Amino acid sequence: MMKAPVGGAKHQLLRPSYSALLLCALALPMQAHAAGTVAGSTISNTASASFDNGAGTQTIDSNTVNLRVDELLDVTVASNNPSDVATTPGGTNQLLTFTVTNTGNGQEAFGLSTIANVGGDNYDPTITGIYIDNGDGIFDPATDTLYTAGSNDPVLNPDQSARIFVVATTPGTVADNDRGIVTLVAAAKIGTGAPGTTFAGQGQGGGDAVVGSTGADGQDNGAYKVSAATVTLVKSAVVADPFGGSEPVPGATITYTITATVAGTGSVGGLAITDNIPADTSYVTGSITLGGAPLSDASDADAGDYNGTRIRVQLGTVAGGQTRTVTFKTKID
Amino acid sequence: MRKALFLLIAALAPAQAFAANQVALDNNVFVERVTTDAAGKQRVLLEEPKVVVPGDRLVFVLNYRNAGAQPADKFVITNPMPSAVRFAGAGDMPPLVSVDGGKMWGQLADLTVPMADGTRRPAQPADVTHVRWAFQKPIPAGATGKLIFRGVVK
Repeated sequence: MMKAPVGGAKHQLLRPSYSALLLCALALPMQAHAAGTVAGSTISNTASASFDNGAGTQTIDSNTVNLRVDELLDVTVASNNPSDVATTPGGTNQLLTFTVTNTGNGQEAFGLSTIANVGGDNYDPTITGIYIDNGDGIFDPATDTLYTAGSNDPVLNPDQSARIFVVATTPGTVADNDRGIVTLVAAAKIGTGAPGTTFAGQGQGGGDAVVGSTGADGQDNGAYKVSAATVTLVKSAVVADPFGGSEPVPGATITYTITATVAGTGSVGGLAITDNIPADTSYVTGSITLGGAPLSDASDADAGDYNGTRIRVQLGTVAGGQTRTVTFKTKID
Repeated sequence: MRKALFLLIAALAPAQAFAANQVALDNNVFVERVTTDAAGKQRVLLEEPKVVVPGDRLVFVLNYRNAGAQPADKFVITNPMPSAVRFAGAGDMPPLVSVDGGKMWGQLADLTVPMADGTRRPAQPADVTHVRWAFQKPIPAGATGKLIFRGVVK
């Protein structure tokens, strides 16, 4: 048997005073809230009183007050890329990821759009598509849904999120370290506006739809940062004649040195150095070196080869800030 | 200000239909609408709502009256919190609260809530399941009173 502690309230014949209540209301900040009570549900309140007026304990109920919960339209957009996404000049299918969350309390469709010319950046990425994730969190154009405004607007339940992929092409003209910002905007299809704006009868459950604190739209930025690299080649030659001098006479050996310098924050891929053997000279067999180490003439596992007319050293991917030095020799005919 | 507001509430409150029962309990719910006037001053109005949205601040007002000829002893008023409302404090007379569906009662600061790992954490306003006023003295015949608590639509 529950024992109700007596206390906490003394009976008073109080003149009602709301002053304390009001002060309290003004001091309290408006609280942020998650989706909350589902639109269309009813809040029902009934109090009861028990007492003994000499004839034993009696219990009575108060009247019941019913309040219908209307639909709040609220949505947030958040970038899932905590830092800039690296891209390269001309790069295609460059990916930004966002999360769109229905923070309202009713099922709602949201229109998506992007803004590529936001400002505050160096270039405008070319948006090639907006995709709605299939739930695995990984972008795959074959299984994710290409978004078309008005035809497959994502419909989200309260507190439900959708992962959105924005796919863009980076212009070929961008320079190293350039940034390009893309904004993703999500807006309730019923409408947006100042908080409190009401769309009569359009809420879930037959009530009104009321714009919440987000204005029924949300947006966030994602950014690309260009990682580019440039290659500089410097070629030099040293002649050694058969007599200990440096005259370019028949029989003299020419040692060519080619230095490739890669600059920038990016890297270059598939970098190969080729050089034709000059006329009136003959390649000195087995003379290719890379970084001082000899390479074979055959087209094989090592990076160098000679095919009878030119030498080639395949350097593959070289990061910015690095240099590669290739040498080879020819003999003057 | 106070007087104006009181009049407003009086105007909004429906005609009190106290039953022939010797003790009557009338329940009203108001929502606080905060408006900002041209001067940037905030005003709080209490309205009797038909509809609410999550985040709305509600004021529950319970009016009791002992209409009988005898004092009402052991007078206890209990209000289960609607599940969609988070308790947000009370008026001048703080109620006892329960955070376990009405089994244990006390001041919110004295109550705890069991955690999944077996420990207990201090109770929060969101944990409140019931509010209750238990009067120490009998309610005299003819006496009336008003009890207030507040909530926020979850």
